[in-house]
Amino acid sequence: MNNAQSLSPLIHLIDDDAAVRDGLALLIGTVGLRVQTWAAPEVFMREFDRASIGAIVLDVRMPGISGLTVLDTLVREGVDQPIIMLTGHGTVEMCRRAFKSGAAEFLEKPVDDEALLEALQNAVRHHVRSRERNNADRESRDRYALLSEREREVLGLIVAGLTNKEIGRALTLSPRTVETHRANLFAKLGVESLAVLIRRYAALAEAGAT
Amino acid sequence: MTARLRHSLPWIAAWLGLAIIGAVWIARNELVNLRESFEVDARIMHRLLSQRASQHDAVLATLGLLQSQSTEAERERRLSSVYSQVIAVERHAPGTPWPNFANELDAAEKTSRTASGPALGPVVFQQGRYWMVLAATPNSYALQIDARAMVPWSEWPFLNEGRDSTVRVTLDHAGQSLTLQPGQIFAARWRFGFRKRLATDSQPFDVVVTRCVSWAELPWLWMIVWVLGTGLLLAALATLVHQRRERARAQELLRLGQVARLNTLGELAAGMAHELNQPLTAVLANTQAALRLLKESPPEIETAQTAMQRASEQARRASDVLTRLRRTVERPDARAERVRVSLNDAVRDALYLLEPQCREHRVMTEIVSDRDVEVLADPVAMEQIIHNLVTNALHAFDQIDASERRVIFTVSQTETHGELRVADNGPGIAPDALPRLFEPFFSTRSDAGGLGLGLSVCESLVTNMDGHISAQNRSPRGAEFIVTLPLATAAVRGDPSASSGVNAALTTPSVRGELVEP
Repeated sequence: MNNAQSLSPLIHLIDDDAAVRDGLALLIGTVGLRVQTWAAPEVFMREFDRASIGAIVLDVRMPGISGLTVLDTLVREGVDQPIIMLTGHGTVEMCRRAFKSGAAEFLEKPVDDEALLEALQNAVRHHVRSRERNNADRESRDRYALLSEREREVLGLIVAGLTNKEIGRALTLSPRTVETHRANLFAKLGVESLAVLIRRYAALAEAGAT
Repeated sequence: MTARLRHSLPWIAAWLGLAIIGAVWIARNELVNLRESFEVDARIMHRLLSQRASQHDAVLATLGLLQSQSTEAERERRLSSVYSQVIAVERHAPGTPWPNFANELDAAEKTSRTASGPALGPVVFQQGRYWMVLAATPNSYALQIDARAMVPWSEWPFLNEGRDSTVRVTLDHAGQSLTLQPGQIFAARWRFGFRKRLATDSQPFDVVVTRCVSWAELPWLWMIVWVLGTGLLLAALATLVHQRRERARAQELLRLGQVARLNTLGELAAGMAHELNQPLTAVLANTQAALRLLKESPPEIETAQTAMQRASEQARRASDVLTRLRRTVERPDARAERVRVSLNDAVRDALYLLEPQCREHRVMTEIVSDRDVEVLADPVAMEQIIHNLVTNALHAFDQIDASERRVIFTVSQTETHGELRVADNGPGIAPDALPRLFEPFFSTRSDAGGLGLGLSVCESLVTNMDGHISAQNRSPRGAEFIVTLPLATAAVRGDPSASSGVNAALTTPSVRGELVEP
């Protein structure tokens, strides 16, 4: 799986004002989150590490390009990091638009440390979980692809709750053969217990059976 | 000039239309009246002539019935004196000839005898006479009648028209025509006619009356009065409409001015929010980071120090932003062009614009001034100031009885300054509100709509014109605002900026932070 370095969450902070960047970066750093600061949104969009775990903090009012436009672009590109918007004077309309576009949070400047850090930690936790879920899903799909046709049939019946005997009867196989298939698919899917097998592969097995 | 013409063109068209329609109507009316009176008179004429004609029948009948040899000649002579139109009575014994017109009279006598009634004898309209004959026994009678004398002038219905009148009256009979009244007949635009046969069978004459109406007889005076009257009325109406439109436009301009000012203010606030928010964000982030670093064990003193250093830099940056903003705000208005403004005129102009609102609030206004005071000011700003002060007063009147509401403007002057006092008899200003009255966004009105900028704008405007504004309560109740501005005569010469230095010193105590209260 991923190495330790990339597991430590990284916060991308975009603001045109150096003093604000430094101050916020320092504050965010006090809770042990890594911060990468960006002065120009264009550079950020071109260069930031999309695979990184973490969140994006985006100022709304920036010269050249509005934070809301950046938000729209990121969401359209499928960036999955939660995005926290910061604004000097937020109107209800602006706030509504930001949430509609997919912002995770909308905070007003000057922002209180509690509010910002809590929002960031929530965002990071949320992102980590969604990434893990995505990764697990991908791995499960990969392993499921390794199974033979017969093994998939057996898996489907296991998930349906049938015993080896009943499976043998259903597929006109001897219980011993069923046992062999069962051992093989456990090994191929990398699971040790029936409970784990069902939790991870029930959905895939049911989808494959239909 | 062309725009003015274009504006007045519809009015002129409307006037022309109205004038023509009205004048024609008056003329027609007059003609109808003339015709009616003509017809009445003509009918009278006809009746009178008919009466006289029947008299002739009666006279003849009487003569025929009452004939007696002895007194006859005497009676016949007296007849002419009773009936002036009877020129002569001729008696005709059987076998003797008629004295003249023997043949015609003989024929008439025969006719009369067969009809057993009077008959018409010879008619000589050239001489204005005709004869009537009654065949009787033993003697027949003939009357020689002067047709012109049939109706005496005293009974003549057209007498008021005079001899040179435009009415002609004739008697027509078998191609002959006798003119009773020689009226002027000409090729007139209007001509009334009347023709009717006399009501006696014995004298079948047509009464013909003709009346010509000349242009001169139209009621020109009334028509002219009408045309001028409608012209004056429409001119007054046009002026009224024009004034109303002008006033509406002026009010719109004033309102736009206020909106523009507010927009500028709004933009200023937005810009300020951003400019201040950035350093404030940095200050907050740095100090909070420092706090967290110091709470750690062991505390990270060095990083915390850096954070605090940055925080103090950012605080200074915020303060610089404010200084810069204040300078940009104060600078441009100080240059507003100042000219001689009559305080009396300024009040009158502003009141003219505010008249609808005053009427709506049922407020009486009054200007107290014993002389015209001219100050050096920006006329637009002056208007705005008075407008805001009056609007302020109007809102204060809500709890006051409508009959008592009064705003009094007092114009006076000192040696160097002109003074305008705007006093109302509303509830006055609460003592705790008095010192904060001119602060921006300070409003005592709890309802929506009070931005709390009116008096603040007044103060900025007055101060920018080197003036001074203050407020106080009146006894027994009411508020009074006092605007002081340099006299035009005192500052008209020399460099205005030099005088502004002096005045700035004068007004310093009233100057306070216009943007943000500490």
